[in-house]
Amino acid sequence: MDSDCLSLLPAVCLVLADPKQSPPDDTSLEKLLDWFKELHIQSNGQVLLQHQPCLLEFISSVCTSKTTDPAIISFTLKFTGLLAATKQGFNLLEEGDLLLCAFEREACYVCDLWEDASVRSGWLQGLLNMLKHQNALDFICGNGLIKVVLQLQNDRSLFVASLANQLLVHILNFLTSLNMTNGSDAVGSSVSSLRSDWVSVSSEIMNAVVEALRSEDHPRVLLGLRLLSLVLSQCGEPIRSTLWKDVLVPLEVLINRGSESLTQTLMTVLQAAVRTSLLGQSEYKVEELLEAMLGDGNRKGVFSFSLSLSFSPEISKRKATGIILLPLQCVSTQPQTEVETNLVLNEQLSQKALCISLLMQSLSSLAELAHTKYLFEDISIHSITSSVVLLLRMCSGHYPSSLLHINASIHLIGCCKVQRCGLDTLGALSFYEENVDLRKDIFDVLLDFLQSPDSHATVLKKTFQATVRWIAVCSPFPDLLQFISHDLFPVLEKRMWDLRWEVRDSTLEFITQLTAALNGNSGFTEALHTSGMVSVLLSSLADTEGYVRASAVAAVGEAVTASFHQATLERNSNLLEKALTQMMIVLSQDTEVFPRRAVVKAFTSWLKGSHPLTALDSSLSSVLSLGGNDFDWEVKMHTLELAEVLMEKTLTCCPYMQNVDFSEKTCLTQALSRLKDFGLFDLLFNSLFDCDRPVCEKACALLVRLRTLTAETADLDHSALVLNVCGNRWGDEVQRRYLKKQQAKASVCATDGATGSDERTDSELHCIKDISLPTILQILDLNDMQRMLMLSSDHVVNSPQSLMEDILSAAQQSEENIVDCY
Amino acid sequence: MKLYCLSGHPTLPCNVLKFKSTTIMLDCGLDTTAALYFLPLPLVHSPRLSKLPGWVSKDGAINLEKKELLDLSTIDVILISNYHCMMALPYITEHTGFTGTVYATEPTLQIGRLLMEELVTFMERVPKAQAATCWKNKEIQRLLPGPLKDAVDVWSWRKCYSVQEVNSALSKVQLVGYSQKVELFGAVQVTPLSSGYSLGSSNWIIQSHYEKVSYVSGSSLLTTHPQPMEQSSLKNSDVLILTGLTQIPTANPDGMLGEFCSNLSMTIRAGGNVLVPCYSSGVIYDLLECLYQFMDSANLGSTPFYFISPVANSSLEFSQIFAEWLCQNKQSKVYLPEPPFPHAELIQTNKLKHYPSIHGDFSSEFRQPCVVFTGHPSLRFGDVVHFMELWGKSSLNTIIFTEPDFSYLDALAPYQPLAMKCVYCPIDTRLNFHQVSKLLKDIQPLHVVCPEPYTQPPPAQPHRSDLMLELQPPPMSYRRCSVLGLPFRRRYERIHLLPELARSLVPSEIKAGVSVATVSAVLQSKDNKHVLQPVPKPAPVPPSKKRKRVMEEPPEVLNPKPLLSGAVPLEPFLATLHKNGITEVKVEETADGHILHLQTEDVLIQLEEDATHIICDNNEPLRTALRDLVLRFLQKL
Repeated sequence: MDSDCLSLLPAVCLVLADPKQSPPDDTSLEKLLDWFKELHIQSNGQVLLQHQPCLLEFISSVCTSKTTDPAIISFTLKFTGLLAATKQGFNLLEEGDLLLCAFEREACYVCDLWEDASVRSGWLQGLLNMLKHQNALDFICGNGLIKVVLQLQNDRSLFVASLANQLLVHILNFLTSLNMTNGSDAVGSSVSSLRSDWVSVSSEIMNAVVEALRSEDHPRVLLGLRLLSLVLSQCGEPIRSTLWKDVLVPLEVLINRGSESLTQTLMTVLQAAVRTSLLGQSEYKVEELLEAMLGDGNRKGVFSFSLSLSFSPEISKRKATGIILLPLQCVSTQPQTEVETNLVLNEQLSQKALCISLLMQSLSSLAELAHTKYLFEDISIHSITSSVVLLLRMCSGHYPSSLLHINASIHLIGCCKVQRCGLDTLGALSFYEENVDLRKDIFDVLLDFLQSPDSHATVLKKTFQATVRWIAVCSPFPDLLQFISHDLFPVLEKRMWDLRWEVRDSTLEFITQLTAALNGNSGFTEALHTSGMVSVLLSSLADTEGYVRASAVAAVGEAVTASFHQATLERNSNLLEKALTQMMIVLSQDTEVFPRRAVVKAFTSWLKGSHPLTALDSSLSSVLSLGGNDFDWEVKMHTLELAEVLMEKTLTCCPYMQNVDFSEKTCLTQALSRLKDFGLFDLLFNSLFDCDRPVCEKACALLVRLRTLTAETADLDHSALVLNVCGNRWGDEVQRRYLKKQQAKASVCATDGATGSDERTDSELHCIKDISLPTILQILDLNDMQRMLMLSSDHVVNSPQSLMEDILSAAQQSEENIVDCY
Repeated sequence: MKLYCLSGHPTLPCNVLKFKSTTIMLDCGLDTTAALYFLPLPLVHSPRLSKLPGWVSKDGAINLEKKELLDLSTIDVILISNYHCMMALPYITEHTGFTGTVYATEPTLQIGRLLMEELVTFMERVPKAQAATCWKNKEIQRLLPGPLKDAVDVWSWRKCYSVQEVNSALSKVQLVGYSQKVELFGAVQVTPLSSGYSLGSSNWIIQSHYEKVSYVSGSSLLTTHPQPMEQSSLKNSDVLILTGLTQIPTANPDGMLGEFCSNLSMTIRAGGNVLVPCYSSGVIYDLLECLYQFMDSANLGSTPFYFISPVANSSLEFSQIFAEWLCQNKQSKVYLPEPPFPHAELIQTNKLKHYPSIHGDFSSEFRQPCVVFTGHPSLRFGDVVHFMELWGKSSLNTIIFTEPDFSYLDALAPYQPLAMKCVYCPIDTRLNFHQVSKLLKDIQPLHVVCPEPYTQPPPAQPHRSDLMLELQPPPMSYRRCSVLGLPFRRRYERIHLLPELARSLVPSEIKAGVSVATVSAVLQSKDNKHVLQPVPKPAPVPPSKKRKRVMEEPPEVLNPKPLLSGAVPLEPFLATLHKNGITEVKVEETADGHILHLQTEDVLIQLEEDATHIICDNNEPLRTALRDLVLRFLQKL
């Protein structure tokens, strides 16, 4: 702790303990607590308490006062717990009787403070903070606090109740861990091997769970189940199995009762149990309970459960996946199969809301399974995929008359929710290689959605996503190109003139992704150029909507990149030329930031590409200067990223060097002077003094790199790298610093006795215009700048000192305000 | 109450409602799909069209036998719901003996007139040398070639009316405003309500004091240019006649508009022309407005739009002056003041030009690529025929169908083979089945009457059970020439009492809140209004010897005997008899009441729920005494 903070602490303690003062806001207290926590971790609790007696006084005054604000009490309880987390701190507090004073049961009920939920939660949090050593556990057990914690488990405040649960679990865990470390009987560990007073504690907690599960009171059962699932997932043996044995009977009763409102919580419990060693031991009946729970799959919420089960290989995953697929099959298959017997499900499917939600759950669960390439056992992936395709067809109103018996179909026509979900699932099903046989059907249905004038913008977006996936998977097949150029491109062209900008935007995004996905596929690039798509892309650069222009820039960028891979560069140079002209217009004239950002990004990606692009050279300097002077900080950032790539490319491989005989030095000089010609240094120095911190930071980092490079290379030809420092912002700053340094040097010289040169230097400096790059890099104290820039802009106001000052000044101000009122 | 259905076409209805003593025709749409059986009428001689195989009748005219469901001269009024549904008006009002009145809103009348004039001009511009009707004879028609012999109801095909007939028919129109109540012969009241479909389009309420029939025709819930649909007044209808739902339930207008714009844009960009065959009023306003916004955003600002119709100018200008019939948004523009439709700006900036025909100025100012809006959507007559001939050969051009009235494939048939691209974007803003079922749920009519096609899925999509009306009770459906008895009985009629008569009444309360009085009056019925007047006092007749004998028996106005109400309670009645000395009474219970046998007097008294009989032979004093005893227990009115 620094001295400033130390000097403020007593005053802050006084303010906080003063019942007449209104307490500072919650966030200040939380921040203070965070700071103490940090201090506590850094140092030792004992040190803090020993050197700061004011803290003990604070605790004692707060605990004895009867009029303290609940927020302060809560803070104090948490804080005390924090201090008592070390043995030394605990002992110090114990000596002053402060722990009892704070956490004593009777003390808690004084006044009506206990009524305040924040006090109860502070009390629990305090105990939780404290519970790091045996003494603390003894303190809790010895003072009968467990009973209070168990009561708080049923608290009306959810936060308090959940905190109480956590504390209980923590206590149980702590009991086991203590037992382990004591090592008395580690191997044959059972609850009975615990210390007798602890045994009573653990059994008290476990009995509470069992009683809760037996209770008729619904909220109490829920609480019991929650604690049970926490114990199962967080506690180790022997607590887990002991508790499981105890709760097995009431749990069975609950599951067999099949109450809808408990389903979710019961499933959480079983899920927790599945992940433990309880699974597979017949006496624990986990599998039996699971079977009972899954039942016939009609219970609400059983889906997510089934989904989680299908990932654990040991158990009845077959049943779980069956449940997931059931609604889908029920809607999309002939009635003679066994699914027909599921009358309840059919009934549910005939109600619109239920039907949609069931299908969506089924589809999204299926998609999740597909993402993991889950292996279905009873049913072929083909038939699943066909079902999804059929469902999507039904959504757009086409389906075979053999399915007329299904009432659900009416709810599905034009239902965006199911369409989106189904398309997601269809996209996910592309993970299965065997599905490529179905590609014709799949592309047909996707095309249907793309063509339909009624497709919602979000549905189209999903269709595009699914199409990209399938195209990527099917890229080796020759019929794909046919599909793209004959079916897909005409639709895309139409979609580019859609009335909704969202659609135009996602179409362009799709083309970008498609081009990237089929990068190197010469047939595709050929089709892209011959179909006239490229000219449509170019005209989209003038769209009225900024987002669309930005996407068009990206799409054109990708199309240009794709054309690099073609030998027919001659034809494509035309494209590059057009693209460059239009993009420069966008960068210099567009009123919205997204297209400008996109332009700079496109240049970066071109430059990153493996093909050297001499055609870009002419535009690069304009991009750097336009981008660097943009009003938008992100454009500037992207320009700096472009500069970074340019630096890397130029300085590392020097691709433009024809003659390999040159020395490394000459090479570097030439590379740097090239960068100078691009105006890169102007950009970096301008950005260094930019008003946006991230921009300065980035520029500084790049300059540091440059400095290292120039410093490493001795005898650099400075004359070739002279920069004009006159007439721009960064130049003035550099001149000023240069001057300062020269003066300092001069004054050092003067003290050394070398007089008479002062005035000459001064006058020389005033008219200095050109300074070499390495010199400038030396003059600027880049390290210091970088350190300053690294600090976040709020580092001053975020310090604990300022926090404490705030608390103090708020207290003073409130007095003033009172005076003002009179 | 009866409904005579003269048209089976769901969107071009023509029904006649007989309600109370009135005969009301609801709409008279003209189904022009028969035009598709004819070859196009080119404005300029087309060698290609003239070489097409066709059949020309050379026979003269005969008088066809008239088959009529109903004598049109008996129609009292015609209610028009929108300008598309009045195109047959001259056929009804002229040469039939019709003497009634036609009710329509002002925009309906004006735009309807434009459409009729346009139709007449289209026809008269290309006169036919002769007319023949002999072939319509069933025996001859059977022998005709091709599709002509399969055409149905050719006897009902008529020659187009003339301008004089149009003027004469429209002179019978009386203008009404929304929510204006119009009394018809005192029997019923009719009220037009905004239906949201087109300028001045209306639904009608036909109601008497105790019955309400709503007629819903061509309504829209979409936000387009007309005033929004008025729904709440349709509530509590006994019968709702539902016609004019969307013809293309699977095409959502928004999606189609998007499709229209993107296809147009693609064509123009590729250097082609776009042809939009359309009516000269209606959706075209919305198309122009949409394009006004779209063309700038799609950078097609310099492409000219041409609107070619004999009534193009009037249509564009009329739309701007009917501010009170427009949606709120457009109405408020008028106060700025700005023209409500943006096509005014398009005209000002020379982006939209309109011409009466392809002849004249158009041919000199015409510039390509362009967008041409012109009629007729059937592609059989009007300037569109010329553009089909002109542009059909180039695959750069596109024809975009926006009107759903004609099958576009049939319309294109005489122009095949066609190189030009063809896009079908039917824009029909009328109610779809989803909207209508919501509407009906909301307004809860007791009975719904609708054309038969609405009660089953479209024949091309038999599985789409969502594209039909499913109601409880099921709707009554009609087809052409059906006569439906509407399923409700008139039970009440309102009758007025004159004040002096009312003053003379003596109501007596027979149970809480219900008072009854007897009335003696004279009922006067005139103009379907019924009034009860006091009975006129007999005028003092001057003594005349001749009539003396008659006067001796004057038509005496007797006060009617009082009416009795109540029941005779058995026990108190027995007590009263006892008090009056009749002691020996034997009571016998029967199904309807009791029989009292007064043994000494040998009298039977039958006490039933609604009658009391005293049977005693030749003992009048006793009967009277007993009667008085019974009357003591009853109330007199």
